[in-house]
Amino acid sequence: MEVNAAFFVDLFFHTFEFWWVIIPSIFLGLIVGAIPGFSAANTIIILLPLTLLMEVEVGLMFMVALYCSSRMGAGIPAILVNIPGTAGAAATPLDGYPMVKKGLGQQALAISFVSSTFGGLLTTIVALAAMPILAQVGFYMHSVEMIVVMLFGISLIASIAAKDTLKGLIAGFFGLMIGSIGADHVYATPRGSMGFLELYDGVPLIPALVGLFAVSEALIVIEGGKVLKDSKQIEKVHTSWAATIEGMNIALSHWWHITWTSIIGLIIGVIPGAGASIASFVAYQQSKTYSKTPELYGTGHPAGLIAPESANNGVTSGTLIPLLVLGIPGGATAAIMMVVLQYQDVQTGPRLFLDRPDLGYGVFMAMFVTYLLMILTIMPLSRYMSRVTLVSTAYMSPLIVAFTLIGSFVPRDYMFDMYLAFAFGAIGYLARKTGYHVAAILIGVILGPLLEQYMLRALKMSQGDIMVLFQSDLANVLWAILALTLLLPNFMARSRNKKRLAEQSNSVFSEDT
Amino acid sequence: MTNPDNTKGEKPVPLGGELIIPVLALAFTAYYFSTIIDSPWTAQVNAFLVGSILITVILIYFVTVALRVIRKQADLKLGKLLEPYSILPTKLIYIGLIIGYLIAIEWFGFTLSTFLFLASSMMLLNEGKNKRFTIALAAILSLIGYGVFIVAFETRFPDGFFEKFMKSVM
Repeated sequence: MEVNAAFFVDLFFHTFEFWWVIIPSIFLGLIVGAIPGFSAANTIIILLPLTLLMEVEVGLMFMVALYCSSRMGAGIPAILVNIPGTAGAAATPLDGYPMVKKGLGQQALAISFVSSTFGGLLTTIVALAAMPILAQVGFYMHSVEMIVVMLFGISLIASIAAKDTLKGLIAGFFGLMIGSIGADHVYATPRGSMGFLELYDGVPLIPALVGLFAVSEALIVIEGGKVLKDSKQIEKVHTSWAATIEGMNIALSHWWHITWTSIIGLIIGVIPGAGASIASFVAYQQSKTYSKTPELYGTGHPAGLIAPESANNGVTSGTLIPLLVLGIPGGATAAIMMVVLQYQDVQTGPRLFLDRPDLGYGVFMAMFVTYLLMILTIMPLSRYMSRVTLVSTAYMSPLIVAFTLIGSFVPRDYMFDMYLAFAFGAIGYLARKTGYHVAAILIGVILGPLLEQYMLRALKMSQGDIMVLFQSDLANVLWAILALTLLLPNFMARSRNKKRLAEQSNSVFSEDT
Repeated sequence: MTNPDNTKGEKPVPLGGELIIPVLALAFTAYYFSTIIDSPWTAQVNAFLVGSILITVILIYFVTVALRVIRKQADLKLGKLLEPYSILPTKLIYIGLIIGYLIAIEWFGFTLSTFLFLASSMMLLNEGKNKRFTIALAAILSLIGYGVFIVAFETRFPDGFFEKFMKSVM
């Protein structure tokens, strides 16, 4: 079978013939993505008996569509009620929820859908074109390089802390400390686990996410009557399709922003073990660093919503590259896909593209078609979804508490995790009421254990020599970019201030003359 | 006589509530250190690095708060933490209901305890209005939860009366 333009055109139309499996999978993915605790990975596991019975192509379409749409689904509650469906959407509410509070929920959803879709489409095309090169990225990213990537994400704490440095740093480092709970990676010594066996593997992410965002939010929202209190904001929610179109236009006008943040997601996605949460934090942080209006981030700025949403959809394409090209799964969902493919006697790795190019390239084409169908099916719904913000909090808050606490039970089937989510809820509530950023705590909880893991690995390999952090060319380049990222905002802010002062003095001078 | 550091006569900012998170963080860090003091270096290195930065930042924060309190620009009242006071009793009962829900789920199973929690807390937050609607809504939502979580996704929640009954019927 020759792989040329005609092959891809044929493959595209052939993939479209599976719309009957893709569209229901999209809706299933949106639902499981939106409920904290559920994910594409555990849904595929639950439905594994069904998936194994399907023909290999149908099974692949189902898994790919579910995977892509669950990523988008996780952003919907993050925007509407400040509750990310997965850790990959943890950076989405930073600007998504403030938009909702301004009465711009419909626009925020449209922005999220467009940036997710275009981020996903674009990275699928890039993945198809540059698969052999991208597949090598994982080989160059060792522990040292990964430490720097983690620090990119953690440096977002500094950005968040910009408004109140000390409180931001306290929240972030408290999160890092909580993230250090669990047995150490070398000798399995229990640390800070308060005697709970359930914490030996570390702090589970879903209870932390549910508690810090959902439970605390549920306690906060009952203080008002509705998410939106201002009559002008409520009026905005009642507007017509124009709001959806406005959101689409805003997102499309940021096409370059979508492009580069989704590429960040793609590259991070290719690295085994890295995931959507790292990608979305790194993308948000980079987006803020190079923005001309960094002060608007966190206040409902569209660019702050576009960055994490494009990046976490870029990850989707990235995680499948090592699986298909090298036979190494880049994440949990990719690992389950590999099991399904192996059951069907399909071996992943370089030979897949020689023996079964229809399947190898077909996975990415399935992704491409899924994103196309997803934007067509979900966009009309944004108008109705945004009305969630008008539901009385007397009904909304108990619903959030009940279903998110249940969600925290699901990944491990431990009652302990529900209590843990409640404990995180109490911390989140105290933090919010006293001006500490829960996102900073969560960044620490998510990235802390990963940073420790890579740091220990690097130190063990170098026999404790800290200089190992600067002995790789790629790591040094990444260190330089990190330093630039941390220093640049100050220089940019200074030059903006100078420019503004110069303009002011010019205008005063011209008025005088 | 007006305070020279607070010449405008502005009300002191209540910072007591803002000390809760740092105090919690400090206590947890001290406890964490106590669990690793005799551990190998691999278990200590990250925690000592992160923990020492955290302690330093917290101490700086405490000093800034203390200086503001001495200058009478701030006091140690809880401030916004308990506000709005009008809803405080409702909020405390609601928190009690959440804790009750977590305990009840082990005894009564998922569906029944979810129904009881939803109905009671919605009624509480709605000040007893629309009782019939609230009960119907709680029943529908807990049945949807049963269908999605237990029947479709086979989540292993503790069984209660309702789940056992449905199992015997199905």
